[in-house]
Amino acid sequence: MNFSNLSMLVIACLILFPSFSGCISEDRSDNELVILTYDVNALSDSMISKFENNTGLEVKMIKVEDSGSILSYLIQNKGSGNVDLAIGLDNTYLPTAIELDLLEEVSIVKDSISGMNSSSEMQALGPYDGNLATPFDMGYICLNYDSSIVDGLNFTIPTSLWNLTEPEWKGKVALPSPITSSPGRGFMLATLDYFDWQNNGEDFSNWWTAMKDNDVIITSGWSEAYETHYTGGYGEFTEGYIGDAHITVSYCHSPGVESWYNGNWTKSASLDIDNTAFFQVEYASAIKGGNSGNAEKFIQYLISSEVNSQMPVENLMYSVLEGQKLPEENGYRFNSIIPSNPADIDNVDIGKNMEIWLEEWNEAMIKSD
Amino acid sequence: MLSCVNLSKKYDKILFNELNINLEKGEILAIIGPSGCGKTTLLRCICGLEELDSGKILLNGDDITKIPAEERGIGLLFQKPVLYPHLSVSGNLSLASHSNHEKALVEVGLPNFEDRDVDTLSGGEGQRVALARALLANPNVLLLDEPFSALDLDMSIKLINDVRALL
Amino acid sequence: MTNFQRFFGILAVFIYTAITIIPIVFAIDRLVFVSGINPMLWIQSLDQNFVSQNSIAFTFVQAFFSTILTVLIGFPVAWVLGRYSWPFKPFLRSILTLPFVIPAIIAAMGFLTITGPYGLDVRTDESTWWWTLIFSHAWFNIALIIRFCEPVLSTLNPNFEEQLLLLPNGVTFLSRLKNLWIPILTPAIAAASCMTFVFSFTSFALVKWITVRDKTLESTMAEVSSSAGIQGYMESSSDIVLGASLIQFLVLLASLWLMSFLQLRRQTKWHQASELFVQNKNTKGWLVLAPAIFFVQLPITSVILGSFRIRDANENSNSFKWSTEGWSEAFQGSYSFPPLSDALFNSLIYSFGTLIIALPLGYILASTIHKLEENNSNLSRILEMYTMLPFALSAAMIGLGVMLGIIKFNPSAAYDFRFLPVLAHVIITVPFVVRIILPALRSFDLSYDENAKVLGMSNFSRFFKIKLPLMKGSILVATVFTLAMSLGEFGASFIVARNSEWITLPLLIDSLRGKPMKDPLTVPSSNAVATVLMLITIILFLIVEKFRNTKDRGMF
Repeated sequence: MNFSNLSMLVIACLILFPSFSGCISEDRSDNELVILTYDVNALSDSMISKFENNTGLEVKMIKVEDSGSILSYLIQNKGSGNVDLAIGLDNTYLPTAIELDLLEEVSIVKDSISGMNSSSEMQALGPYDGNLATPFDMGYICLNYDSSIVDGLNFTIPTSLWNLTEPEWKGKVALPSPITSSPGRGFMLATLDYFDWQNNGEDFSNWWTAMKDNDVIITSGWSEAYETHYTGGYGEFTEGYIGDAHITVSYCHSPGVESWYNGNWTKSASLDIDNTAFFQVEYASAIKGGNSGNAEKFIQYLISSEVNSQMPVENLMYSVLEGQKLPEENGYRFNSIIPSNPADIDNVDIGKNMEIWLEEWNEAMIKSD
Repeated sequence: MLSCVNLSKKYDKILFNELNINLEKGEILAIIGPSGCGKTTLLRCICGLEELDSGKILLNGDDITKIPAEERGIGLLFQKPVLYPHLSVSGNLSLASHSNHEKALVEVGLPNFEDRDVDTLSGGEGQRVALARALLANPNVLLLDEPFSALDLDMSIKLINDVRALL
Repeated sequence: MTNFQRFFGILAVFIYTAITIIPIVFAIDRLVFVSGINPMLWIQSLDQNFVSQNSIAFTFVQAFFSTILTVLIGFPVAWVLGRYSWPFKPFLRSILTLPFVIPAIIAAMGFLTITGPYGLDVRTDESTWWWTLIFSHAWFNIALIIRFCEPVLSTLNPNFEEQLLLLPNGVTFLSRLKNLWIPILTPAIAAASCMTFVFSFTSFALVKWITVRDKTLESTMAEVSSSAGIQGYMESSSDIVLGASLIQFLVLLASLWLMSFLQLRRQTKWHQASELFVQNKNTKGWLVLAPAIFFVQLPITSVILGSFRIRDANENSNSFKWSTEGWSEAFQGSYSFPPLSDALFNSLIYSFGTLIIALPLGYILASTIHKLEENNSNLSRILEMYTMLPFALSAAMIGLGVMLGIIKFNPSAAYDFRFLPVLAHVIITVPFVVRIILPALRSFDLSYDENAKVLGMSNFSRFFKIKLPLMKGSILVATVFTLAMSLGEFGASFIVARNSEWITLPLLIDSLRGKPMKDPLTVPSSNAVATVLMLITIILFLIVEKFRNTKDRGMF
């Protein structure tokens, strides 16, 4: 090998290697806050700009598909320290996150949040009140139906979940998957209670299998079910609308939201069957290995009266603050119900059994007649 | 038997104008001319691969001027032998007739060549297979377009004599 | 082979192995650690999980029917284009083969628009989804049929057909079909069908957006990728990934083998003529070409138009207006979605990064293979197969391989190493570089080099002054191709780009489209980004077309 060839090789190495090595370790600045979330409406541009202006921190967001992806991301990333704050884990995902030691304790002043002694209809600190997660919104997950079609004449209004397995409902029910969607997961947990899982394991599986046989539409997320398939909501005015389902999973206050947008009118209604509604709380958590100080600041901001009282309007969920109510305008409050007898599943049970239940659900869904 | 009446064709220049040819059964006609003068084109017009500007062609009294080439019953042996490489010698002969291959090959001096791969044939052998095939087709008229120009002198003379004998 | 060449050859193989093989091996290792070595279990898991149920059947069936439809549509076009003379033939050829280079995510957006409320409005009927998918695959792959069959037809010596017309057993069209057209076209059609099958089999972006609930093995893998390789959490995901990868690998390997077998047979014994012989015109051919051109441009135009058409959100109706709001939304970005300029910047950086690695690496590998052919043909063939291996891996497999492999090597690199997507892109593009450069090297006239040697030129100056300039055409093709593939890459990037700062144009298109439909700017903004990517791709494609060597019967 002659000299010119060797020199070429050396020059090539000198050019290539530094450009790569410099990128291997990126030190994060202390002024940065990295938030991991899915599409949470509350995190609007103006809301975040305000935070940045007040604190001087720079906010970066990592967006994933849904709450399930948040958990997976945290697990895959464990210890990397490149996420400071996760927004969007709910009380069905939280136990797993805690068990896998993904979260960091923060000291947040929670006096203003509705807790055990509260007179509110919903208690945000009920499912969990520790320092690893702070609630920022909540609501009751339940079935919504299109009252203009499901009016007792064309379709009987269901009084039991078994009604949905009957021929008239074939292909007309859209449910988000419990594997990927938090409302979907909440609803699945409700069905566990409905079918009395502790004493009777079979009915839960049998019902889901029957639903599968009755062509239930399973979507990966809430928005696909609500926007694309459900006829009772705003979906018919969006591109991609199919409109083949008259019942879907949403929130007991979703009809209120519809009414509020439509100027005091809605055809969507909540189905208040005992033990089919599930109380959901969504959390903001600091992540182990990240900058928990910065995370704390954001969490405090998120539960500040200024931001959190706007939850019904900005995020279409209940505020977690004590004494907050839904706005009255346009029938928002009027059309939202609190279920009389929601499902009751212990958080501890959720933590212990989630994987098993998801497997059972999977088994039920792959069974064919 | 073959009657060409007032054939005319031109490309940029006139190739032939009001040309008349008459051939009786068993007759051999040689067309001679400098290269590029239109001999090939004339043959291609007679067998129907190209269109005349004007004129008529009659075969046994029938006007075949407008009939497509595949229905005229006139054969053509190309300047470079057109052998189909995916078929053996016998396969190529089958395009003319499914029987009498052995006899045809013997007649052109290529006995036992049936199963040979056409890739392996020399120039002269290839042209002879093409000739055997053309004869097997039993056409009313056989046109030969400088069929031996690609071969050496000795081979040419031999084949010319062979063809004469066959015809 | 000089010592210099030997050194670089070995270095290239080493780097290639380190970049390609090792991450994949690490990934498999990690997955197997979670799942155990049990191929039957892996494959069964595809049917045992709701998330992947029916994906095997769906993948095979849609690939099969896509292939058939592609041949049915593409062959008449190739026939008409190849057999007759057309004004501006190279231009026509370019238009008709353009779809192949358009990134799949853009095609998905186009077909959604065509079948959506502003087009045929059939999307509400789920049974149309299947047909939309098949047609979209055909849209892509007719380019293959044309590329493979048209040269065969247009360079066939006309004497073959003419001689047959004059023989008794060539009189009917059927007999000509049997004796001429089928033998001559079958290898080309078979090779193109093979490739079409492979592309349809590993389809991801189109399946994700068009047949929302049915999944192919590829889209299933991409979906569960975020939870794969984790012990004790959703271990079924690892089973699914291994099962899907195994099936894909076997199918792709079989197709690769079949393709190379057909290529050998295609080494044509049929005499060619140059295209300068006069072909006839055939005005009836426009009955085939005109609809084909219409079909080809339809998704492209739909995407462009769709970027300006905004649903009127004030009235709850299906009325719309024309404006550039979608464009400004895309350019501005928000906290949730990076601006178009960021994604464009990333895409360009990644593609150039890919280029500076893949091009020299591919070139040296091709050169080494070629040098070995002279003396040591077995080693040369082994090396050639080795460089083709990534073809047997789908984009999702590569993405997953890179991600899981890197995590094993350096856990934080998955999120800190900004150039991680480049790694995936290099794996995907190196085989293409080899496939483009190698034939050019093979057809390179040795006498040029020998003459230069005899004139006293050194290795170094011969390379730069003689070889490189003469190879300019194929190097340019390889360059542009690598850039285009990297810019449009979706499957692997989807899995690897975990950090939203690393977003590329295709990923941005996907993210924007995935926003809730309530926002009327969802569709226009994603179409705007798609239009930008499309224009860049088309420009690159046109550059390649100028330099394309029509004598080379390969893919490119």
